[in-house]
Amino acid sequence: MVVDSASLATLGGTIALAGGLIGSSWGMAIAGSAGVALLSQDPKQRKNVIILASLPMSRVFYSFIIMILIVTTVVPTMNSMPEPGNYGLAVLSIGSMSSVAFAVSGIYQGSVCAAGIAFLSKTNGRILTNSITLAVFVELVAVLGLVFTIIALNMLGLM
Amino acid sequence: MNFSAESLAILGGALALAGGLGGAAAGMAMAGYSGIAILAEEPKYLKSVIILAALPMSRVFYGFIILIFVLTTVTPKIAAMPDPGGAGFAVAACSIISASAFLFSGIYQGNVCSAGISSLIKTNGKILTNSIMLAVFVELIAVLGLVFTIMALSLLNLM
Repeated sequence: MVVDSASLATLGGTIALAGGLIGSSWGMAIAGSAGVALLSQDPKQRKNVIILASLPMSRVFYSFIIMILIVTTVVPTMNSMPEPGNYGLAVLSIGSMSSVAFAVSGIYQGSVCAAGIAFLSKTNGRILTNSITLAVFVELVAVLGLVFTIIALNMLGLM
Repeated sequence: MNFSAESLAILGGALALAGGLGGAAAGMAMAGYSGIAILAEEPKYLKSVIILAALPMSRVFYGFIILIFVLTTVTPKIAAMPDPGGAGFAVAACSIISASAFLFSGIYQGNVCSAGISSLIKTNGKILTNSIMLAVFVELIAVLGLVFTIMALSLLNLM
């Protein structure tokens, strides 16, 4: 079986999307379990719990951007090259890099949101702003993973 | 199929950035948990918590420096060699040094920052300077990982 570079690049895009899906589902599940426990005691915090538990969802969209970029821009560029030889594994490894960023940051952002949710009743909901601030720090890692992936693909001349 | 030396080198650069992203996400999240717990008690320490929780972020930029070096300097050198041989695999191996340095120092710097954050109330915020100092010890590992990777690449005549 011969695997050509365009299909390796597409594999990179799907691995990136898989990392984003894993990170967001896992993170939302961690925040959601804390949210269910809190809501059983204090149902009026439902709005705040929904806000905090949905924060890790953004990974899905970031990784979908990478998938779309690779399928619509990188793969046609590689197909038009006379000798694409080297680029398949390069795109695959850059895609896996962003996949790690999305998966790890999603899981850990879920834990930060869970910590915020656990303190909602005690502080009467005032912790919401502060925990969003601290969750945004972890979000930054995912955004930087997206940006650096695009920069790296640009430097390879594939976009 | 055969992978060229350039694409193995790019795999190494992406690995280094992945380690940096993972370490930064995990470390900032660990500092974030205790930050939320402290802010629930005493919201006025928001500034100190933000300073301490943001420290592990530097790994992302160190990892990005390695990826940029690999893409702009190492890969053209390998491409210009008449017989690159094992040079690509050597670059991938050198990047494992920096990937593990960034990953572990990020996670453990998060723990140091989290310990500093949890003592903020007791010391009225005076612990900030001391905990930054102790966190910088762990930061040094990441900086040394960056420096030693660059040194190893120079010793291999790839930079």
